[in-house]
Amino acid sequence: MNMTDEEAFATGDTLMLRACGIDKTFTLHQQGGARIHALAGVSLEVKRGECIVLAGASGAGKSALLRCMYGNYLATAGSIAVRDDSRPARYVSLTQATPHDIIRLRTTTLGYVSQFLRAIPRVSSLDLVAEPLITRGVDEDEARDRACALLERLNVPRRLWTLAPATFSGGEQQRVNIARGLIAAQPVLLLDEPTASLDAENRDVVAQLIVDARECGAAIVGIFHDSDTRERVATRIVHIDSSSLSNHDSQAGAVHTC
Amino acid sequence: MNALLKASGLTKRYDGRGGCVDVDLDVYPGEVLCIVGESGSGKTTLLNALAIRTGVDSGALAYRTREGDTLDLLALNEPQKRLLSRTEWGFVHQNARDGLRRNVSAGANIGEPLMAIGARHYGRLRETASDWMTRVELDAARIDELPSAFSGGMQQRLQIARNLVTGPRLVFMDEPTAGLDVSVQARLLDLLRTLTSKLHLAAVIVTHDIGVARLLAHRLMVMKDGRVVESGLTDQVLDDPQHPYTQTLVASVLPV
Repeated sequence: MNMTDEEAFATGDTLMLRACGIDKTFTLHQQGGARIHALAGVSLEVKRGECIVLAGASGAGKSALLRCMYGNYLATAGSIAVRDDSRPARYVSLTQATPHDIIRLRTTTLGYVSQFLRAIPRVSSLDLVAEPLITRGVDEDEARDRACALLERLNVPRRLWTLAPATFSGGEQQRVNIARGLIAAQPVLLLDEPTASLDAENRDVVAQLIVDARECGAAIVGIFHDSDTRERVATRIVHIDSSSLSNHDSQAGAVHTC
Repeated sequence: MNALLKASGLTKRYDGRGGCVDVDLDVYPGEVLCIVGESGSGKTTLLNALAIRTGVDSGALAYRTREGDTLDLLALNEPQKRLLSRTEWGFVHQNARDGLRRNVSAGANIGEPLMAIGARHYGRLRETASDWMTRVELDAARIDELPSAFSGGMQQRLQIARNLVTGPRLVFMDEPTAGLDVSVQARLLDLLRTLTSKLHLAAVIVTHDIGVARLLAHRLMVMKDGRVVESGLTDQVLDDPQHPYTQTLVASVLPV
């Protein structure tokens, strides 16, 4: 990865996301300025049609990396760039983008599925799932039809569709969350343990949705703890190693690719 | 300028203390910006300064109109200010009573802003008022009742209808959910969220409630002692706060 972002995005037509030398350190001002090193020198390139599974022990910084790539965490050092063909340079630097740029990038390009659904009071499951399409200008009826189809495919019982998910089981909430995260079919998908609270049957459905997205050309980075799903979806596994940072200052790189 | 509203170095002090100091901000069309901070942090002063309801000591403030003209808000005369607040803006007070006329009916409260910009057809005014009551989830059959006949949460929704009926592009809100029961708050928040997105409305909302900010805001500004200490994308500021004060604020929220 000695190329610049300019060169990498100009020469690699399938390159969608590029992270170089990402460090993430949390400074806890409430606790005497204690510093927690979550990531050190992580670099990653993700191409169209590729599903990279992040592996590594709990606390290795896998989620932190996904969040940095979504603009939810600010990387302490390093750069993250995302394909944007509407610009002359054909990419945007996420780490230098304004909030407005990031909002736009999340609408056009970056999708993210969190570990848990952040329920919005009083909004029905169906509306929650249809909302990302409506924000993107899809006609409301069509958006609802597509939301119904996706909820159906994820085995969310029809009687729940008109209800707000606050009282649903963990697995039901997670499937609503996945539907909301995948419905807009964004070209880059960041998936933080989407299958964690699901039973085998539904894990299977989600794995198939991810494989479908990948085969349609999505560039995917995900965290999956069960080995079945991992094997089905992954085209590449990247190990993030916590031992090299272990929360004292360390310059060690932290990624091994296999 | 692309922004709808743009402030630079805005300062308003009271006898050399308090108020807001050197604030830069911009609001884009359709964007919801929340200003959070504790009592006395200067957020309401800032809101009043932005809405030119109070004079400022220094700084610049510009607004882009429907016609695409850029106005220097600090140079407007009173009639120009009134026109702007009737045609392009709304202002929702924390206390509904400050934003409603107590001695006229709910329907008249909604119809009045339209009459102020020239609407005269009684039947149509009444129809519009009734339609807006339904949109803010009030029973349209109560159109002739006085505001005092409605509960606090209902009065707040009535105030919102009165502010949105003229189709403003930018709405200022001062703690719109404070003082309401939690269940009533949720309903109001859902309503605000739906209305801002459906009407492509820009809003500047002052709140001390982080939950309100997370639900409604695209962007967040954190104020302390009159200054902006941190700003950014709402989820980034709340999930990865950088400033010591923001970290304290986020850590003080009780988990549900």
